[in-house]
Amino acid sequence: MFLKWIKFENFRIYDSATIEFSDGLNFIVGGNGQGKTSVLESIYMYCTTKSFRTSSDSELVRFNCDSYSFDGQILDTVNHNLRIFYSLNEGKKTYFKDSKPVHRATEIIGKFPVVLLTPDDHSITAGYSLERRKFVDSVISQSSEMYLKHLLDYNKTLRQRADLLSKIRETGSRELIDQLDAWTEKLVQTGVELISYRRKFINELDPFIKKSYSLISNKKEAPSIYYKTISDDQTDLSRFFLAKLNSLQKAEIAKGANLAGPHKDDFVFFINGKELKTYGSQGQHKTFQVSLRFAQFFYLKEKLGKNPFFLLDDVFGELDTERSVAISDFLREIGQAFITLTDFSNFKFLKRSENDRLISVDKGSFCYG
Amino acid sequence: MQIAAPLQAVIDELSKFPGIGSKTARRLALYLLKRDISEIESLIGAISDLKHKLGFCTKCFNLSESELCVICANPSRDNTILCVVEDITDVISIEKSSEFNGVYHVLGGVLSPLNGVTQDDLKIKELSERVMRGGIYEVILALNPDTEGETTSLYLARLYKDLGIKITRLAKGLPVGGNIEFADEATVGKAVKGRLPY
Ligand SMILES: [Zn+2]
Repeated sequence: MFLKWIKFENFRIYDSATIEFSDGLNFIVGGNGQGKTSVLESIYMYCTTKSFRTSSDSELVRFNCDSYSFDGQILDTVNHNLRIFYSLNEGKKTYFKDSKPVHRATEIIGKFPVVLLTPDDHSITAGYSLERRKFVDSVISQSSEMYLKHLLDYNKTLRQRADLLSKIRETGSRELIDQLDAWTEKLVQTGVELISYRRKFINELDPFIKKSYSLISNKKEAPSIYYKTISDDQTDLSRFFLAKLNSLQKAEIAKGANLAGPHKDDFVFFINGKELKTYGSQGQHKTFQVSLRFAQFFYLKEKLGKNPFFLLDDVFGELDTERSVAISDFLREIGQAFITLTDFSNFKFLKRSENDRLISVDKGSFCYG
Repeated sequence: MQIAAPLQAVIDELSKFPGIGSKTARRLALYLLKRDISEIESLIGAISDLKHKLGFCTKCFNLSESELCVICANPSRDNTILCVVEDITDVISIEKSSEFNGVYHVLGGVLSPLNGVTQDDLKIKELSERVMRGGIYEVILALNPDTEGETTSLYLARLYKDLGIKITRLAKGLPVGGNIEFADEATVGKAVKGRLPY
């Protein structure tokens, strides 16, 4: 895949600006608030329909304007013209692929795979389990439309079932209790699907994690991931899950909440058998975060048969020179990447080849050099 | 801008229709204004008949002009095969596919705690009466394969599982999370033909 150019209209800080990319490494350099992360944001939106910085599209409209848009062209097997348009008055965002409106995000997710590495990735290794589930879900969803549909189905079931449980608590209605069994069965069916996808994913990611980690760090350290779900036993998972829900029924009704299932899953990271979250150093956390993203890249590449776009937001500032050099050397081999930096002069160690492009961003305009 | 009140009234009424925005409503209203009065009266008559002449079949809750709908009243339909659907539009989709010669039962919705829809709001009691009365060999659960449709199917399958009746669901020719209404006729036809035991 090759993203050739993007033309912004009233998007974030941009009035009307076109940016042209190289099919190699694109270094996007600028001070804070000049619009460099917005470039990554727009690429991410082409790939996922959503921003990674905000859930509110109105925030993306330039001050005093009533709509934003950005057009762009991606060469996949053929050229695709992409356009995202948002109107503040209608409060509606429309994604056009080759001039045709896209009705569901599921039509786009996975078509143009993307990997994003940001300082926020810190929360994947150091934060709550929710962040790790988000990471895992986003990677599998890009490689399997089926998984994404199961996930949406499961989340809908969770909402319906939680609502039913609280209504049972309030009314004690026999009729509602009668209905609960069907929602429980639905939760088990969909939940078991999610668990089997996640287990398979963690197994398949393992060699990629080990490979990535060793590329970035020359220390003799072996990373691994343990998938913590309702049971390690895979053979009778449905029965086990159902029995667990039945034993929790009173508590679930009392709390009006779903107390067991893959929405409580966690992924525990280890280095040399020691839990990263408890025993890891800052450097080990950082290396693990970068390894996860590279592993995601290799995984998606293998599953989808194409190189995902690689987006790195302000990452080099946080890494020591040794790791930065390892990463930039490595990026060179993997296709098109977009790297934001606050100041290129601090990154002399980044070897540049002819195919790389240095793009300076200043108050919403671009210059190349 | 001021618009004559009778015209504005029509625009406002038309804007309530699904898929009709204010611009389209204005265009339609102006179109109506240009029609002959006889055409308008015939349209009004047709719309009014919808409500006055059409009711629901007392057996299957499909649309009907009399106590029994054309399908229930047809002696050549197979009364031993009962196809349970969510809505009247699903009856139309399956009928168009011409793959099904049994009879229907229209539930009038699916279970949804969030929308406050429970068993009592659906024609489940009536369905159970039909099933318990006997003479039914197979119940096809043809609800939309979305979260609520599938859960309602699970509910019904549990309800009738010990009756010795064959319970089937549509084959997964249908897109997951999709609506039967939006599937093309060939897909619906294939799904009805290739139905699977529940
Ligand atoms: Zn009928």
